[in-house]
Amino acid sequence: MIKIDLSRILFTVLLPAFIVLSARAQNNNNTTITGRVYDDKSGTGLPGATVHLKGTTHEVVTDQQGRFRFLTGQHLPVEIIVTYVGYQRKEISENRNSNIDIPLTAVSGQLNDVVVVGYGTQNRRDLTSSISTVKQGEVAAQPVASFDAQLQGKAPGLQINSNTGVPGDGVFVRIRGTTSINADNNPLYIIDGVFVNNQTLQTLNTGGRATSPLADLNPADIQNVEVLKDADATAIYGSRGANGVIIITTKRGNFNNAPKLVVDASAGVAKGSRLWGLTTGPQHATLENEYYTNSEADAIALGNTSGEATYATPPFVGNVWNPTAATNRGTPNLQHTYDREHELFRTAGLQNYNLSLSGGNKETQYYFGVGESHQDAIIRPLWFERSSFRFNLDQKVTDWLSVGTSNSFSRSYRKQGRAGDGPDGGLLQSAINTATYLPPTNAAGTPLDYAGFDNLSILIKYYDMHTISLRYIGNVYADAQILPGLKFRSSWSLDWNNYNEFEYWNNFTQDGAAPTNGLASTILTQNSSWVNEQTLTYKTTFGSKSHFGFVVGNTLQSNLIQSTTATGTGFPNNSYTSIASAAITTSSQTWNKGNLASYFGRLDYNWDNRYFLEVSARGDGSSKFGTNNKWGYFPSVGAAWRIKDENFLKTVQWLSDLKLRGSYGITGNQNGISDYAAQGLWSGGYAYPDNGSTYQPGTAPLQLANPNLKWERTAQANIGVDVGLFADRITINANVYDKTTTHELLQLPIPAISGFSTYNSNAGEISNKGYEVGIHSVNLRGKGFSWTTDFSISGNVSKVVSLSTPIYQYSRDWLVIQQGHPLYSFWLYKQLYVDPQTGNSVFQGQVNGTGNTKNAQQLNATVPATARQVMGNAAPKFFGGLNNTVSFAGFDLSALFTYQYGNDVLDLQRYFGEGGGTRDANRVLQSSQLRRWTTPGQITETPRETAYGNNYVLQQNSRFLENGGYIRLKELSVGYTLPAKTTAPLHVKLVRVYVVGSNVWLYTKYQGPDPEANVTSIQTIQGLDLGTPPQPRSVQFGLNVTF
Amino acid sequence: MQRFHPYTIRLRSLIRVLRYLPLLALPVVSGCKKFLTVLPVTDVSDAVTIVDATSSETAVRGVYRTMAENYYGGLYETFGYLGGDDIVWTGSQSVIQQFISHTVAADNDNLESVWSGIYKTINGANQVIAKVPLVVDPTFTAGQQNQLTGEGYFLRALCYFDLARCWGGVPITLVPTTSATQKTSTPRSTLAQTYAQVLSDLNKADSLLLKDTVQNPIRASKEVAWALKARYYLYQQDWANAEAYASEVLADNTFYQLLTPFSSWFQPASAVGTKESVLELSYNATYTNGSRGNWQPPATGGTRQWAPSATIATLLTDSGRGAFVAQTSTGLWYGNLFYRSPATDPSYIIRIAEVYLIRAEARAEQGELSGALSDLNAIRTRAAQPNSTATTQPDIIQAIYNENRLEFALEPHRWFDLVRWGQAATVGVTNPDNLLFPIPTQEITLSNGALTQNPGY
Repeated sequence: MIKIDLSRILFTVLLPAFIVLSARAQNNNNTTITGRVYDDKSGTGLPGATVHLKGTTHEVVTDQQGRFRFLTGQHLPVEIIVTYVGYQRKEISENRNSNIDIPLTAVSGQLNDVVVVGYGTQNRRDLTSSISTVKQGEVAAQPVASFDAQLQGKAPGLQINSNTGVPGDGVFVRIRGTTSINADNNPLYIIDGVFVNNQTLQTLNTGGRATSPLADLNPADIQNVEVLKDADATAIYGSRGANGVIIITTKRGNFNNAPKLVVDASAGVAKGSRLWGLTTGPQHATLENEYYTNSEADAIALGNTSGEATYATPPFVGNVWNPTAATNRGTPNLQHTYDREHELFRTAGLQNYNLSLSGGNKETQYYFGVGESHQDAIIRPLWFERSSFRFNLDQKVTDWLSVGTSNSFSRSYRKQGRAGDGPDGGLLQSAINTATYLPPTNAAGTPLDYAGFDNLSILIKYYDMHTISLRYIGNVYADAQILPGLKFRSSWSLDWNNYNEFEYWNNFTQDGAAPTNGLASTILTQNSSWVNEQTLTYKTTFGSKSHFGFVVGNTLQSNLIQSTTATGTGFPNNSYTSIASAAITTSSQTWNKGNLASYFGRLDYNWDNRYFLEVSARGDGSSKFGTNNKWGYFPSVGAAWRIKDENFLKTVQWLSDLKLRGSYGITGNQNGISDYAAQGLWSGGYAYPDNGSTYQPGTAPLQLANPNLKWERTAQANIGVDVGLFADRITINANVYDKTTTHELLQLPIPAISGFSTYNSNAGEISNKGYEVGIHSVNLRGKGFSWTTDFSISGNVSKVVSLSTPIYQYSRDWLVIQQGHPLYSFWLYKQLYVDPQTGNSVFQGQVNGTGNTKNAQQLNATVPATARQVMGNAAPKFFGGLNNTVSFAGFDLSALFTYQYGNDVLDLQRYFGEGGGTRDANRVLQSSQLRRWTTPGQITETPRETAYGNNYVLQQNSRFLENGGYIRLKELSVGYTLPAKTTAPLHVKLVRVYVVGSNVWLYTKYQGPDPEANVTSIQTIQGLDLGTPPQPRSVQFGLNVTF
Repeated sequence: MQRFHPYTIRLRSLIRVLRYLPLLALPVVSGCKKFLTVLPVTDVSDAVTIVDATSSETAVRGVYRTMAENYYGGLYETFGYLGGDDIVWTGSQSVIQQFISHTVAADNDNLESVWSGIYKTINGANQVIAKVPLVVDPTFTAGQQNQLTGEGYFLRALCYFDLARCWGGVPITLVPTTSATQKTSTPRSTLAQTYAQVLSDLNKADSLLLKDTVQNPIRASKEVAWALKARYYLYQQDWANAEAYASEVLADNTFYQLLTPFSSWFQPASAVGTKESVLELSYNATYTNGSRGNWQPPATGGTRQWAPSATIATLLTDSGRGAFVAQTSTGLWYGNLFYRSPATDPSYIIRIAEVYLIRAEARAEQGELSGALSDLNAIRTRAAQPNSTATTQPDIIQAIYNENRLEFALEPHRWFDLVRWGQAATVGVTNPDNLLFPIPTQEITLSNGALTQNPGY
């Protein structure tokens, strides 16, 4: 009998640190047999393998490191049988009683992978839930700063849009659709057990976009990424599981492996492959003159005498070139063309260096990784640089206790700028909105700026805006094997981020010009989040067929974001950039803290590896919610049936696997809302003097309490099937799901007579339904040759089931969230056609006015507000990826295509650039304006240029809504590994040279540079393209050497 | 030794271990309630806001700030001058254009902003009125406590006055808001009831506020309450009371004086809180006055969303008030009353010049023509203009009207005055419905039918 030392259990439970305890009492009559079961290729221990002593009924299950230990009355030698799902059964005869090494050989095929799940691992074969895995190397090839951008097209159900080509900026990530309006929609990211912050800490205005905190992580350190999608997989994360969970496992060493040094270096260039088509100076002038001529004719037709006078003389007339004048600027052919677009865009340099050292002995395994990455943006003067260091260690202390740590330190430097919306300081805004005929300087060489946009050369020369992010992500853990099969684990994790922003606008820029005389801001934001976690895991087998396991645990988490801002204006001159030199300084501070306490558990059972059942639950208590609803409970159940192992299918040769899965569960959401959303608050920021100008503190009501505020709740049902064909040469995973989110966390408008405009409450309902299919196929496999294909396709349909008042999005209300419609719907006036006879736009719901001619009636037409309609959608009908990998005689080639279909993009850049002359010198004219109607009978969608009617004055015109579908050759890589006989004499294990291209080819009907572009990081807005830098096309050459 | 079946061993062992499972929870449960209660430090719980003398003072300052940030210092002023035909629209926002062309739509964003801002101020004042009198604090002198409460009443009176002249009768709320639904179904009061509330609050303020002991135009005092009373009675055409209260204020020439030359009450930049002001709101580098950016041209860091018309610019220049306006390098007029950088310009609520003109108008209406002329000429003299040549009552009244137009060209008077005088037709408004603004659409939607729209919208 196994004796249990009670004190040890207590110690392990209560003091889960690195405590060495008294040795276990032993029964001297029996033999102790110990050993380890591991993967023969990687050397990784195999947890949960069954070790059986032949001729007895005695069997044990290996621990997390693959070790086993049991007592037996049998005498040596013993016959040991080891079985492990996904591996070949092994039978050995053993003379030793300790340190028995038992390597197992994996059965080929994806279904046998070990998958990281919430608080544990499972074999893909045994999953009842829906989880996708992206493997090592697949998240490190492209030159984007954050690994999430590299997941596009690689996991079914995971939608990734790279909304901007600025490296280090955020990426739009959705797992199975958007569930929330005011709360966060991003998945939960867990790196080596650390719940990491993925909310940007950026405060300074970068033109609408926000930086990605995930860019602090070096993709080269990543071993695996698991995407947890259905409620069965995510409910154990309870209140943070509603948007799915992305678990990142970084590289670790291997026990009993010699040191392995890997050096990887690559360098390359990136360029904007498609830019905006702008008119030349003469084209602009011609179009503007035409606008005047047409407007004058219309004014006469409408009997508008003042209009007739206004448009009598076109501006581009006369023999003298005088472009900045209001009139008589010179005839069109005299106009010059100034190409600001190519002044801004450049060929960007990329460099990436990674070095890692890993290995281990019997008790220790380690991994060191050092990385350095520098990426220029394709627009001046922005760039991104990351230096990172990782140290992972696992140490066996005794045969039952092991401890370990994961640590990542990084420094990310961003040279920033406003690369999106907003006139002042806007890089793209000044480059592609300033009319091309306007000279950048006057005759004396003084820089000129126009229409509120800064002078581009000034911006490029003096742009001074940067951010330094220092980040530590790490944890320590202790694992104790209390009993065979029963393991206790405790861990402490920390995510710490020091984010320091700075900007300085000197007096050449609009923001810093007199009377401001220089403007500087610095913001220091610190985010610290710690998690303490205890889990107890048990795994066992009853008889030969009944497998049972559970995990229970608790966590405590605390998150604190504090920020200090200082701003100064009035600098002595442009050499003084420190706020210390400013004449006027202001400062501010914020402090936000949220705590979460949780209990969770999961039970899994399977009989004969055929019938699987899993039940999990989590209880979360959050400091954010009202006193009446602090705790939320999130249960789920999943079941699977491996039909293949039923007798009637066992003999079907071509079908190697068939499993049916189903799950249902509840998850929650609390992220993204204020930490104090439920509390009644008064603000202290209401200072006012008692007399004179000395300010004294003041207070005022800020927010009403809602003691009933509670969790947003997502119920999700999932049905899936896993199929293996021809000895798993082809594997197919397919899922359909139905997600319904209720009690939406909303800032609900309330009557303003209350003194408040909104109230944090739970209202509204959103549904997401969809499907996803992933196919993996080993097309050819021979000696030294293989060709595999991965294909994925996913579709999601969202619907706002209930919402009391529509919520309009962005300035001018381009999008709307409205009951009965999908999310990401646009709200526009529908232009039906351009009348071929008159050249005027005709809108749905248009009421023609009076007039003698059709033209006059159309110009007098009104389009009532009621005609504005929900139309088009920025979310794709389906999306996915196709990846082909070929390897032959040392060469490897991989080509990843990604695609989206059925999404719309509102081309706001074209809206501003296709103003038909109405904006004259204030805006560029895009070359698409040349398609305007000029001749009766002409079929075009660009109406006749005129100041009258609705052709160019109705802002929300559906004409600018474009098909945003695309197919893109996202990634193309070719590598060559030198033959071992060449490298062996050099004492080098492996040498690989490679070339990687990204965004190599793009097919789309979208007229702008990049159909994925989006101007804002506001999560409920997609498909608004307003001067956002496109994703670059890049090529990198690299060398990878393993010693 | 007893032999157990291996499974039995495992199960028993497991059960023995699981007995201790609750220990996992121990460290959590004990401190859980505390752990899950996080109190903010930037903003604090509304349970502990007005409890002693100090917190009473901070709450009253907060009401001024709320008023200065959410309603004056930008948008409310535009309601007063945009409709007067002297300001032209030069920007890109049609929300401004609607006021100038008298086609204000109920979904105009600025309507909602100002309406919300005023009621936000009212809620702050209600907090003061409800809680300050209940404070027991030995350091609080009765005078201080009354003064602070009186300021609450004064500010609420100003809010309802400003609401009434924009929208007519409005919902009246007199208690602090404590829940989201508490005031949802409050109906509109009549115009008379709304003005009655103004008067009631002003009387309260009058009785509680202290008289000035130092010059301090950024806070309400008894004299400030009299000044607003004078304006109130003027709007009610209660000429005698208007004259009486104006006279009370004008009697205090220690703290309130017409400054000469004309521009000296706003220039140079250091001229803030001058004796010209009966009440002005204070701004500093942190809390800037939003008016500046809208008036100033891009060359000085503004947007020049709206600007004085060439007509008024000429009139101002010719009437000794040229300092109100300036021209860009390309000859465009812009308003230059709000010009400081950063925008620490005060927001002028009541100037002593207005009190003179109130008394002038009240006297003229009562037939006290010489007294009226003397007040009118005080204003003209200060602007370096000759005395008025008007002699008949109608001419003198019109001369006072004209003087108002010039004296307050860039302040929120003209449109309200035209409505009050029945002269809105002179700026093209003949439909009486358009004398009031529409109630913001969203307010009506959210009121569950309690709020009715003004006719014509």
